[in-house]
Amino acid sequence: MTTTHPRRRRAALTAAILSAALVLTACGSSDDSSDTSSDKTAAKTDETHTVKAGNGDIKVPNAPKRVVTIGNTDLPFIDMGGKPVGVTGVEESELSLLPEDQRATYEKATDLGDEVDLEKVASLKPDLILVQIPDAEFKKIEKQLEAIAPTAFWGLDTEWRTLADSIADAGNVKDALDSQKADYEARIAEMKQKYAGLIKNTKFVNLDRYSSSDPGTFVIADIGCVEIAQEDIGLNFPKAAAGADPLAYTSLPFEQLTKLSKYNVITYPADAKGQPTEAFAPVVQTNTWKELSTVKSGDALGVFCPGNNSYGAVLRYLASLDTALASLPAAKQ
Amino acid sequence: MSTRSGLDPHAGSSRTASSPGTRRVDFGRRVLVLRRRKVAVRLDWRAVIVCAVLALAIACMAVLALMTGSYQLSPGEVISALTGGTTGLAHDIVVEWRLPRVAAALVFGAALGVSGAVFQSTMRNPLADPYIIGFSQGSYTGALIVILLVNGTYWQLAGGALIGGTAAAVAVYLLAYQRGVQGFRLIVVGIGISAMLGSLNTWLILKADLDKAMAAAAWGAGSLNGVSSAQVTFGAACVAVLLVLAGMSSRQMRQLELGDDAAAAQGVRVSATRLRLIVLGVALTATVTAVSGPIAFISLLAPQIGRRLTRAAGITLAPAALVGALLCLTADYIAQHIAPTPLPVGIITVMLGGGYLGWLLITEARRHL
Amino acid sequence: MTDLALGRPVGPDTRTVPGPRRRLIGLAVALAVLLGLLVASMMIGSTAIPPTVVWDALFHPSKDIDQFAVRDFRLPRTVVGLVVGMALGVSGALIQALTRNPLADAGILGLNAGASFAVTVAVGLLGIRDIQGYMWFAFGGALIVTLTVLVLGSTRRGQSPVMMVLAGLCVGSVLMGAGSALQLTNPDAFDVMRSWDAGSIVSRPLDLLWPTLPFFAIALVLAFAVSGPLNAMALGDELAVAQGVRLVRTRIIAIIALTLLAGGATAIAGPIGFVGLMVPHVARWIVGPDQRWIFAYSALLAPILLLSSDILGRVVMRPGEIPVGIVTAFVGAPVLIALVRQKKASGL
Repeated sequence: MTTTHPRRRRAALTAAILSAALVLTACGSSDDSSDTSSDKTAAKTDETHTVKAGNGDIKVPNAPKRVVTIGNTDLPFIDMGGKPVGVTGVEESELSLLPEDQRATYEKATDLGDEVDLEKVASLKPDLILVQIPDAEFKKIEKQLEAIAPTAFWGLDTEWRTLADSIADAGNVKDALDSQKADYEARIAEMKQKYAGLIKNTKFVNLDRYSSSDPGTFVIADIGCVEIAQEDIGLNFPKAAAGADPLAYTSLPFEQLTKLSKYNVITYPADAKGQPTEAFAPVVQTNTWKELSTVKSGDALGVFCPGNNSYGAVLRYLASLDTALASLPAAKQ
Repeated sequence: MSTRSGLDPHAGSSRTASSPGTRRVDFGRRVLVLRRRKVAVRLDWRAVIVCAVLALAIACMAVLALMTGSYQLSPGEVISALTGGTTGLAHDIVVEWRLPRVAAALVFGAALGVSGAVFQSTMRNPLADPYIIGFSQGSYTGALIVILLVNGTYWQLAGGALIGGTAAAVAVYLLAYQRGVQGFRLIVVGIGISAMLGSLNTWLILKADLDKAMAAAAWGAGSLNGVSSAQVTFGAACVAVLLVLAGMSSRQMRQLELGDDAAAAQGVRVSATRLRLIVLGVALTATVTAVSGPIAFISLLAPQIGRRLTRAAGITLAPAALVGALLCLTADYIAQHIAPTPLPVGIITVMLGGGYLGWLLITEARRHL
Repeated sequence: MTDLALGRPVGPDTRTVPGPRRRLIGLAVALAVLLGLLVASMMIGSTAIPPTVVWDALFHPSKDIDQFAVRDFRLPRTVVGLVVGMALGVSGALIQALTRNPLADAGILGLNAGASFAVTVAVGLLGIRDIQGYMWFAFGGALIVTLTVLVLGSTRRGQSPVMMVLAGLCVGSVLMGAGSALQLTNPDAFDVMRSWDAGSIVSRPLDLLWPTLPFFAIALVLAFAVSGPLNAMALGDELAVAQGVRLVRTRIIAIIALTLLAGGATAIAGPIGFVGLMVPHVARWIVGPDQRWIFAYSALLAPILLLSSDILGRVVMRPGEIPVGIVTAFVGAPVLIALVRQKKASGL
């Protein structure tokens, strides 16, 4: 599984609502996303500031030295150059999408398990705990975690940009975040200009298949990385009606592939090399897919989505999308 | 019901029934008779010794569980935390984390043991446990709905599990009711309802976010992780009341073991008694399930192991409760220490249960055949 | 923990049993219904494909994408539903006859747990992700577990039904626990397994099915071959021996047949529960205790339940679908409960 991991769905869902405000003009760029600002600030560890989190205003140290990340906070924190001392389980399929240095950082941290070993957390002697897990799960361990160290929690429906801001604020990696944000905004602006024609005239559809998808089914995915293409760049992808469940919640049988001819361009999940992901491969192997006019004309694009809950991952998605769009017959003209 | 399996609980007569013994009866084994005022309790020496040994084993296991964990604490630190000499993290870890967990394992293990004993007597089936009437799948459905759809709090989860389980059990009972409840029909209806709820559960898990699905699955396996002292206190209070009620019903239970007709001949109102016992058994399981999820196999194993240890003819409650507590405590200890990261206790109890059956096959059943 | 009613012997049925003529008519009706469902399964789907296109897809093939949809998606699931249904039905009847337990199914011998554990290992530890890969693991797991159960459940005097069920419960529980432990510590495996656990007959390419057909055919022949001796054994081992039945040979043949059938079905479709339990049970209510008739009815009724569930799963959430393994219980359980309320329990 590569793109739009189900655990990210909720976070991705709300992205649409808040994203527009964040598309700003570019202001310089720097590719150095792995700087650890915790050393630079040279703040005394006993100085604290307040962070807004899902569990209230939390007093956290200005320069936390030993951060434990639980749930979905791990990869965004690492993406911003953070070096957690303890992490919870991340799927191999997701780890394999990380750049090598980030993966190394992840693997250096102590694994706390999926059913969080609280005593292990305590024995790591953290000075900050960052948590994003289901609310009910957090309620169960909230008091225990707070007894160990200041604990900042965000619910699963926290929008990823908000989460990144909060994590950066709490975990003292703001500089890296600022530089990533600048890169992101520059890229969006550039792509908007470059693909103005496609944005106006082309009907896109984004397909996906997850490891847990019923056999013989796919989805028209309107959540995940595609939301960035849709909301921030402005490409015309189908979208669920307001208030309704996302289209991606309905698994469509392969028969429905025959209905895809009405779109000009199909995007589907691919790995870093552009090959269809393992979960999506069964779709590409069907005769119906091979006979689709869109596929035959070269208008089916594999796009790599290494995650949609941190700027670094999103930037890599945008790079892949850029390459794919540039290869379209329509874009070449 | 075949007696060849070596599991048959109703192969003998009632033994420890408390009756003002006037006539001398040869029980074929040494008994301890306690007379106090007008009540006399006849206890089996072997049962007394077995219970004492079990209690000792439980105490040792509890001390071990309190002393060890991934956070290193010396025995001295643990003792000073328990006696109130320490504050701060060490105190929290011992008193707020380890102690409730040990207490939960003890109380819930005992509750499951008694619940299983009640069911096995009532159904006259050594492999009967409250799960056959759909309670387990129903409570899982309730919990899944709270975890996956409502995103509810802990107490909502407990409530959802209770409501789901009870609704399923009531549905099974009502659907099986036709001028009384006949055991076999109850089992068939239970299978049908369980199958439907099981499918629904699979569907809910399949359609959920992975994180929530895994949290739900851990609950579904039965887990004592993060049990708080408030939850244990609440659970223990419920269990205590139910255990007293179960103790009061133990006589009718043994009469039911002899068969419906024999029980009726002794003046037992069979259908009403059976319903009361089933409700009692389900309530015990429900309490545990609400707090920790369905911990499998203890209710099945504890009464059988207890019977085997005391060499009793029927199911008796006290050994079942003690074995249940010991099993649950040990399983939870293994679950926390066997893998690099902790597992739900239910996974260990399932494997222990399988192992026990294997042992049974290799030794006892083989001899009987 | 539902199928635990052990050791209740399938006694001779005391109710009046329909005569051979009525049983044959019933069989013909079942066959007609099954044929109707096969046609319906080709016609009904998520998209509206005209009957003429379905016809052409089968008999005048071209490269039309609708035709591909019929040939590649509807035809395989129909054939798989037929084969898997028959296998599940007959294997269920075999297990119930063998264990003399009217509520037994493949799960009771630990077969599903074995297949599921093997697939979990393949997915979680070996990183195998495509169905072609882990299908064989499922089959191997089912095979090994059944053999283990056979050995564990044997005594010097042969196999005892009660002991085999206990052995199945034993092996099944241990594997279930180990499988859950693996899944709960490996989110990737959990993700794949929650889909596999649902049970589905979709997206199983036919070229995967063809090589397994001879095994299914052999197993079916074996099953019907032992149905007579199993009849005799229903009255007790001693009586059967007196009638010249060779107990050990019958049991071993029955176990080989049921392993091939249930193991093969589970390997192809995942653990589709309930069919193997309910169908032979209902068949027994219809035709009485004669195993030959139970087997024949099960072979037809099971694919009827499976295909009608599959078709229902395609239409209730259009354009989405529900996997057949989820639907069968919802179609079957109400029928079972209605029947058990109508029949006198002594007739079981």
